Amino acid sequence: MHKGIAASRGIGIGSICVIVEHELTYDAKKIEDVESETKRFQDAVEEFKKETAEMAEDIRKRIGPKEAEILEGHLVMMSDPTMAGEMEKMIAAGQCAESAVSAVCDMFIGMFSKMDDDMMRQRASDISDIKTSLLKLLLGIKDIDISKVAPGTILVAKDLTPSMTSQINKDNVAGIITEVGGKTSHSAILARALEIPAVLSVPDITTLVEDKNTAIVDGTEGIVYINPDGDVLSQYIRKREEFIKKQSELKSFVGVPTKTSDGDSVELFCNIGTPKDAKKAIECDGEGIGLFRSEFLFMDNTHMPTEDEQFNAYKEAAVTMGGKPVIIRTLDIGGDKDIPYLGMKKEENPFLGYRAVRYCLGNKDSYVIQLRAIMRASAFGKIKIMIPLVTCLEELRAVKELVNEIKKDFDANGIDYDKNIEVGCMIETPSASLIADILAKEADFFSIGTNDLTQYTMSVDRGNADVAYLYSTYQPSVLRSIKHIIESGRNAGIPVGMCGEAAADPLMIPLLISFGLTEFSVNPVLVLTARCIISKWSKSEADSLTEKVMAMATESEVVKALKEAAKE
Amino acid sequence: MVSQVVKVTNEQGMHMRPASLFSQTVTPFTSDVKVVFNGTSYDAKSVMMLMSACIKCGAEIEIVCDGPDEQDALKKAVELVEAGLGD
Repeated sequence: MHKGIAASRGIGIGSICVIVEHELTYDAKKIEDVESETKRFQDAVEEFKKETAEMAEDIRKRIGPKEAEILEGHLVMMSDPTMAGEMEKMIAAGQCAESAVSAVCDMFIGMFSKMDDDMMRQRASDISDIKTSLLKLLLGIKDIDISKVAPGTILVAKDLTPSMTSQINKDNVAGIITEVGGKTSHSAILARALEIPAVLSVPDITTLVEDKNTAIVDGTEGIVYINPDGDVLSQYIRKREEFIKKQSELKSFVGVPTKTSDGDSVELFCNIGTPKDAKKAIECDGEGIGLFRSEFLFMDNTHMPTEDEQFNAYKEAAVTMGGKPVIIRTLDIGGDKDIPYLGMKKEENPFLGYRAVRYCLGNKDSYVIQLRAIMRASAFGKIKIMIPLVTCLEELRAVKELVNEIKKDFDANGIDYDKNIEVGCMIETPSASLIADILAKEADFFSIGTNDLTQYTMSVDRGNADVAYLYSTYQPSVLRSIKHIIESGRNAGIPVGMCGEAAADPLMIPLLISFGLTEFSVNPVLVLTARCIISKWSKSEADSLTEKVMAMATESEVVKALKEAAKE
Repeated sequence: MVSQVVKVTNEQGMHMRPASLFSQTVTPFTSDVKVVFNGTSYDAKSVMMLMSACIKCGAEIEIVCDGPDEQDALKKAVELVEAGLGD
């Protein structure tokens, strides 16, 4: 068994084809005829551009525009006058074309690979690909034609260059194993887009295998087996069938309304951290945004973001969602989230201290900027304001007061906004839970944050290994709290959502259905899984399980009962 | 020679696409166009040079144009950065 990085989910079983890397060696000789060497170089560059443009077009058509961007980037870089210019300068000084290409590419690779930015470091591997392609063209080396491999092939390579990946025929390639590359490398992105299981960064794999060896690629766990014995093989054949069945079942939930088996509709929203993630929510078939964490605007920044900067980000999310709800949580900092330029004081007890709405109401000037930005963006979609860490009614009232003042100002100055913009509370403290009935009279909606609610209800720091065992949403106290919050909201006629991890938990879903949760907000990749599980429960089944579970005295009994009843 | 300091506001900073758009926008001008960041000057007509500066969201850069059409070049370049570099 070999371990690597799980880069593309699924299980592939097949026969290995090793892609042999040609040695790109050349004599670094001095050039006499500079003119013809320059011509040889320019011809190679032209050929490179032509081939790259063709491959980009092919990938754009077969896979998608996002995947084609990698190759288009290569084209942009090689069209840069600095790149070709530096190379030509070296040729003019008597270097051969191969040396010039290597030296200039290596210089840029060195520069980019040292940067403290993941996306920039990725450019280093782009330039390395360009270098390989150019050297191959100059040396007249042709890659093997991957498009012609037999069905059931497991490709094994040091690294898959974009030119190789562009030739992959997904009907014939059952899996991919490489020695280098991570989750965000080109090979990984393309493997995921083509839905081919892939395990990357398996050390020395190209030297450990031979053509025609049997291999299992478990792209979900990041495990590879070479020449597995019969037991392992039959176990994985079964796993592969289960995976394929599960995937096709999940696909049948794309574009389908989220309903229980007896037809009760609930909303299935997504949690996002940046406006760009809204696109992902749409791609994953989310029906809205249940939690847009606004912290990224503040954390990835060197200064307080201006009203316009914030407005643009909120507007982008609202426009992307095209009228579907976008619940924006106002700044939730403090606790474990520090923002250096705000100069917040170190606290003895940060989770019980100056954080979230407490900080916002203590710094009204900057809070008003955020509220104004959100309200201006509300003219472009269905935006709602959510207040984090509410503990008492005064906090909700204070925020609503600010919102009303801004409304007056907007009306007076003719600034567009949604006059019916809703203001809701995140319910994540024991205090808010206990007075949920009081808050529900003045809040437009609730959203339960199970992570903090569990931590505060159990008085446990889940980062502390000695006490982390107490951190469980299945604790009877936490379940009672959730039940009380949902019922209080429903009694007052306001929607109650949940944006913590529990909303996507297969064990929690029947309880939440029974309690009457109206909106589940999950990580975009879990939308279909959550919709599938919700569809398997009827209200009456969920009710009878819930009645049984709520009468239990300990967490372990609860977990056991929920696991026995679980529907995968 | 004319110059102006602007703030990069697009989320990604000077990555491939924004850098590419920036260099394409200033290349047609006859003037020299440079971006000064952290005390180093980068040729703005080269996407590689722009990317090598590792300019992130929130960074302040100075755009320096020198040549017969320097005013127009500066105006175009500043507008592009202020509009979020196409992001």
